Amino acid sequence: MVTAELLTELKAVLPEVKITTEENQVTLFPHTEEQIAEIVKYCQEQKKTICIIGGGTKSKVGTSNERVDINLSLSEYTGIVEHTVGDMTVTVKAGTRYEELQEYLAQHKQKVALDPSWPRDATIGGVIAANDSGPKRLGYGTARDSVIGLRTVYPNGKVIRSGGRVVKNVAGYDMNKLFIGSMGTLGVLSEITLKLRPLQKCESLILLSFSNGNLDEVRRFAVELLDSMMEPVALELLNPAMAEKLVEQNAYTLAISLEDVETSVTYQEEFIQKLRPKNAELTILRKDQAASFWQRLYTAAPSGCDPDTSNENNAGTVALMKIGVVNLSVLEIARECQLLSDQYSVKAEAHGGLGTGICQVILHGASEDVAQSISRLRVFAAELGGYGIVQYLPESLNGKVDVWGERPSYFRLLEGIKAKMDPSRIMNPKRFIGGI
Amino acid sequence: MAAVKAIKSKDKHIQQLAAIVGGGRSILYQKEDLLAYDCDGFTIHKHLPKAVVFPKDTQEVAALVKYCHEHDLPFLARGAGTGLSGGAIPLNEEVIISMVRMKRLLSVDMENRRAVVEPGFVNLKLTNSISDKGYYYAPDPSSQYCCTIGGNVAENAGGAHCLKYGVTTNHILGLEVVMPNGDIIEIGKDGVADEPGYDLLGLITGSEGTLGIVTKIVVRILKNPEAKQTVLAYFDKVSDGSQAVSDIISSGIVPAALEMMDKTAIEGVEAAAFPVGHPKDIDAVLLIEVDGISAGIDEQIDEILKVCRNRNVREVKVAQDEAERGRWWANRKTGFGAMGAISPDYLVQDGVIPRSKLPVVLDRINQISNESGLRIANIFHAGDGNLHPLVLFDARVPGEIEKALEAGSACLKVCADVGGTITGEHGVGIEKREEMRFVFTEEEIAAQTDVREVFNPKNLLNAGKLFPSPGRCVEVKKEMKASVTS
Repeated sequence: MVTAELLTELKAVLPEVKITTEENQVTLFPHTEEQIAEIVKYCQEQKKTICIIGGGTKSKVGTSNERVDINLSLSEYTGIVEHTVGDMTVTVKAGTRYEELQEYLAQHKQKVALDPSWPRDATIGGVIAANDSGPKRLGYGTARDSVIGLRTVYPNGKVIRSGGRVVKNVAGYDMNKLFIGSMGTLGVLSEITLKLRPLQKCESLILLSFSNGNLDEVRRFAVELLDSMMEPVALELLNPAMAEKLVEQNAYTLAISLEDVETSVTYQEEFIQKLRPKNAELTILRKDQAASFWQRLYTAAPSGCDPDTSNENNAGTVALMKIGVVNLSVLEIARECQLLSDQYSVKAEAHGGLGTGICQVILHGASEDVAQSISRLRVFAAELGGYGIVQYLPESLNGKVDVWGERPSYFRLLEGIKAKMDPSRIMNPKRFIGGI
Repeated sequence: MAAVKAIKSKDKHIQQLAAIVGGGRSILYQKEDLLAYDCDGFTIHKHLPKAVVFPKDTQEVAALVKYCHEHDLPFLARGAGTGLSGGAIPLNEEVIISMVRMKRLLSVDMENRRAVVEPGFVNLKLTNSISDKGYYYAPDPSSQYCCTIGGNVAENAGGAHCLKYGVTTNHILGLEVVMPNGDIIEIGKDGVADEPGYDLLGLITGSEGTLGIVTKIVVRILKNPEAKQTVLAYFDKVSDGSQAVSDIISSGIVPAALEMMDKTAIEGVEAAAFPVGHPKDIDAVLLIEVDGISAGIDEQIDEILKVCRNRNVREVKVAQDEAERGRWWANRKTGFGAMGAISPDYLVQDGVIPRSKLPVVLDRINQISNESGLRIANIFHAGDGNLHPLVLFDARVPGEIEKALEAGSACLKVCADVGGTITGEHGVGIEKREEMRFVFTEEEIAAQTDVREVFNPKNLLNAGKLFPSPGRCVEVKKEMKASVTS
């Protein structure tokens, strides 16, 4: 059906819903869960494919060349549904911007304990659907640990609840887990209930620079810190290129985040100062300065809705990888990123958690070199028992690089879940691993 | 090698199953031997299994499962049998695959904070094996001295300290699973986080043994906190105690544990094996633990003492040493069994409520107790709203079992009605199948059984658990009563 016809029909069937067309692409902006359900039901009946959009920061994550019939934007489906301060839980509509949610909760000295990329633009729905996380997952865990309930519009248009509004719940299967990180391929997240944490009373960031470039020294320090009883909420290694970008210091740098009552933070700062290797340079940032560092880190990677990064130019192109390995193998990934720059003339800006094993690598260079680097890093991660996925791919490489990598041996089950829940494959088609 | 014990059964399946596990020493099939396996920690519902087999490794589990799958024999996995909702009861004359021989600690990697265990490994043994290096495994169900980590994964077990540290699912990094058709899969190999694909790790954890049989588990281990302080607070009024719980949480403290017992529960624990001298005339005791960096602990304890005093606490004290702390915890952790000291039988329930609803829910439970004529003791993880009403009854009195079941179910209805749920850590099992309808619609239940079909299409693995039978609600209740009274 050509766009004009589709538009006419949509207007007739969904008179209440705001519709736009841009470059032949129809986008719907529902305001209520009922409207989301009506749209999905219509698409199911008419076998129209849907792309779910929040803030658009992850619009390049897992993209395929598939053209969809309808964009479903949740950007106008926003707001807090219920916040029970004493229970420390909040229920929020999926299109709510992450930072707005945090600003609201901060008035009550509470927070969602996640630190995703692009907090200003990203929506809570997108963060959950992509299972986005940041360095502070060491202390607070990930979306798996924070989400306690979901309302999901299934591909058949029915609203299905999973979990609930209590912090402990084993009634039935833990269906929340299916949707977290499912990239919108199983349904549209509508309302999300999260457990909250108290806002930290004091925050400090210790930057420890190893200007001699000795990763063994970094390892020794990290192992000693992890084996101590200190409780850093992040222990993130920045490679020299990333440290240069964030703190203008071209050296391996550890970013150690401490969040607790002030006496505890001070005590831990002193402990770490004593542990500092002789060659390492130590800087302590407090409050706004610490927050500003994290803000720079959260916005370092290319975003799907940032025109600065999405345009390719003469300087080459940019891609983003997420790599998961066993915790301390992050050091190996950092080392490999240095080798890459020599071999393929790419710039690899990398950071990874020494207590989490999750790395983010931003690759700059000519598109051929970037492609080579992606496959090299992926093979390297696999040799370490991990994986590498591409979270942002430039137009020039679209379709040329497999963004999700190899299918796992149990792919049959993933495919089976998709086939059961979305047999017509209308939700975010081919957006996920193995073309799901 | 020991001589192979002969099989006395003429049943072809028994002979084949025995052959898979290496002969008669690794299988039970005679009635007198099977009696010990007719129920788990949920004892008012009993069925005999067809056989109990004891595989020694993953390959044997896979071969057993494959055999059952090919011959349409119902089967299920069992750990230590401590489950409280009947998840390991062989409703359909299952072949029980017991995991108790697979009980090795396979590896510990302190630097990367992970350990690999077989499913039959006992929960507390893990902490005991690594405590000399200052590490521990966080999920601590009260039965941790004997329950297995495989069973913990099946039930997504909790414990007193999950308020701060989370339940089992928050500590599982990887699983090796034998699928219901005998295939072996590995998820989160080596414990690497966020493996691409739907989160099967999270889905299988807590699936009560209906999606597969876990044969290897990668768990997260944690460093011991630098300091720990434990507080005991006595309240003359339950409402003051529950307000104190809310105030502590709202003050921005995340306690490691925040437990509460009411008057009847106190009577039980003081009459049992680990009395600590709680006053008999108080209405509620709170057991509060905070841990973390030593420098920050005193501040938190001061805040907690202040909150308790503001809520008219009669007496509040801080544990003076580890021995005293240990006594307080033993008193609390043996709380369920302690009910045996004041009642011939008891039924444990496991509802969860939003913390702020605690006072109103306690009133309603009190009403249920009055209406049923049965005493109900309350022990709960107050910090996360997880209530354990213990319905006290005497099975010898005709009709009391039914009354106890009804009272237990009514307590769960109260929890569901205030926006809570019917189980926080014990699982649905057989016990709460019908109560699933208190919290889920038919469509929502179907969404879950759809997932089961992907994993377990023949439904031979642990059938009849977790979900109510569609449209057969009345018959199931009748059947339940029949099997209870028989």
